[in-house]
Amino acid sequence: MISYLKTNTLSSTSMNQVLIFVGLALISGFGLSFGIHSLLVGHDQTFGTSREVPWGILVSPYVFFACLSTGLCIVSSLGQVFGIDTFRPIVPRTVFLALITMATGLMCITLELESPWRVGFYALLSPHQSSNIWWKTTIYSLYLIFMLFNFMSLALKKKKRAKIFAIIALVTVTMGNLNMNSDMELLGARGFWSENYMPLYFLSLSTLTGCAAILLFSWLGKVFGGQILNIEDHRALKSTGKLFMVLLLGILYFTGVKVMGGFFPQFTKNPEAMSLLVQGGFALNFWIGEVALAVLIPLGLILVTRGTNSNILAIAGFSCLLGVFVLFYDLVIVGQLIPHYYQYNVVDLPKYYTYNPSLHEIMITTGAIFFFLAAFVLGEILFKKTYSS
Amino acid sequence: MKVKDLENLNNEGVDSLSSKERRRFLQFGLSITGVFLGGSILSLTSAHKVQGALRGGNIPVTDFPYSPHYTMVIRQNHCIDCERCLEACRSTNSVPAHGYRTTILERSVPIAQDQRERIFMPILCNHCNNPPCVRVCPTQATYKDETNGIVRMKPEKCIGCKTCMAACPYNARYFNEENRAIDKCDFCYDTKLKESGGKITACAAACPANVRIFGDLTDPESDAYKLIHSPDKVVWVLRPETDTLPNVFYMNA
Repeated sequence: MISYLKTNTLSSTSMNQVLIFVGLALISGFGLSFGIHSLLVGHDQTFGTSREVPWGILVSPYVFFACLSTGLCIVSSLGQVFGIDTFRPIVPRTVFLALITMATGLMCITLELESPWRVGFYALLSPHQSSNIWWKTTIYSLYLIFMLFNFMSLALKKKKRAKIFAIIALVTVTMGNLNMNSDMELLGARGFWSENYMPLYFLSLSTLTGCAAILLFSWLGKVFGGQILNIEDHRALKSTGKLFMVLLLGILYFTGVKVMGGFFPQFTKNPEAMSLLVQGGFALNFWIGEVALAVLIPLGLILVTRGTNSNILAIAGFSCLLGVFVLFYDLVIVGQLIPHYYQYNVVDLPKYYTYNPSLHEIMITTGAIFFFLAAFVLGEILFKKTYSS
Repeated sequence: MKVKDLENLNNEGVDSLSSKERRRFLQFGLSITGVFLGGSILSLTSAHKVQGALRGGNIPVTDFPYSPHYTMVIRQNHCIDCERCLEACRSTNSVPAHGYRTTILERSVPIAQDQRERIFMPILCNHCNNPPCVRVCPTQATYKDETNGIVRMKPEKCIGCKTCMAACPYNARYFNEENRAIDKCDFCYDTKLKESGGKITACAAACPANVRIFGDLTDPESDAYKLIHSPDKVVWVLRPETDTLPNVFYMNA
């Protein structure tokens, strides 16, 4: 079903499109200015984090955007690396989205650091090869460069060169994704992150969000540009929708594992955290965000429309992205809320630590999301021809 | 003698046991406990390099991973929560008001039905032999001193990612806003340890009840060594399930 026909020719950039970009960029700048303020006065004054819960909400958009970029790279490789013709039409936009999502993620983690100016010196002069976080950041930075070359090659219609960079980027980002899992798993103090299913879960979630983003932003791009969705685009989105559905079923399984762990301690290594997530203070996040928004609503929408309606696919993608954002928030925060000495009968020790994002953290997160949206719109303005070719 | 014959015998009771026999029984029990405790400590101090042979309760340890191998024994039943150790730590190491390197937790432990015992448990960095904080640091800002095994900081290298804080099972680290770097206990390495010739830390020196016994695991004359190797004492570490192999030991002595 093609429901937003306007024109099949590329229109020139309108004033409205420029204004939308400027508006998004201004909101982004306003949000990110809170990050600059935090760097100047110190996170203890502006962040909701603490000694007990050192990682706040800003780690969530980092993990979210990095995984999203991984997924976008994987889906783009279906067309440009593995040569599946159906996926070719969505490759340029997908590569650009992968590029800007990773840039957004790295920006989030930079603003989460208390002393980011030392990274430039000591990540290079004093690297720690046993540290997954060092590898992860280095790999993602390299990946960003490879994706930039990949996109430039696509824009210059150098297909062979683009394919080479795409292969390197795919291998690199998969390593980064597995490193992210290992990084969290290594934190022995927080058992929540070391469940056996995590590596596959991370990779599946990444690909799922990649599909969801393609469904949403391909649709948005066409609406923004006032263009029609041609047969090839439609076919590519329909195939992405099918892959999306299969991955949703996979994630449904993992969600079921979480539910089992939340209700029956014998199914998890971390009964306290899983219980907090599934039936404690984070239950609303879990059931509405992780279960309904991330999995059930998109799955229901696709099953009802048989995955043929691009508008509905876009809505399903949006719902999934929202839900997965909540999922990553839960993943980062719940893992830290079990008190270190909870088994020692310590007087006045709360059952769970608490964390609430501060205004600064929320504004920085908002700024990062709007940075991504502004970059997306800029891409729609600047790379119309690349996308349509 | 058959089992049926045994059943027909009268119970002599414990009153008829001579005190010599009782002592021998207790001695036997303590020897077994000592052997297992010694084995536990050897496995905790880790280090594949540690060579210990268990011979009738004697544990000759000839090789520790560090020399000196600094350790601290907490005699927790002696602690009265006077907090002099905390004050000494703050003043010696210029610890800001928003953080702490060491603190004292108050525990309420069930000892019988409707009865609980209050225990004060000092905590600090455990200077683990397998420290997760060191493993995760991307810039080697935190590292294990190759000579003495102390987990130390190079603040100028800290990027403030706080992964070490998330990784530490003992909540032993905080972010010092004054130098924009993580801070933690380093057994007073630059402040008290050097000036005392490696003999004592500020908290141990300030403790009026000798709760914190600082010492060297490679020195048999060290009080910490003697306490840990007493076969009649139960020694334990905090959160052993995290496999960090701590160098801070707890006991009631």
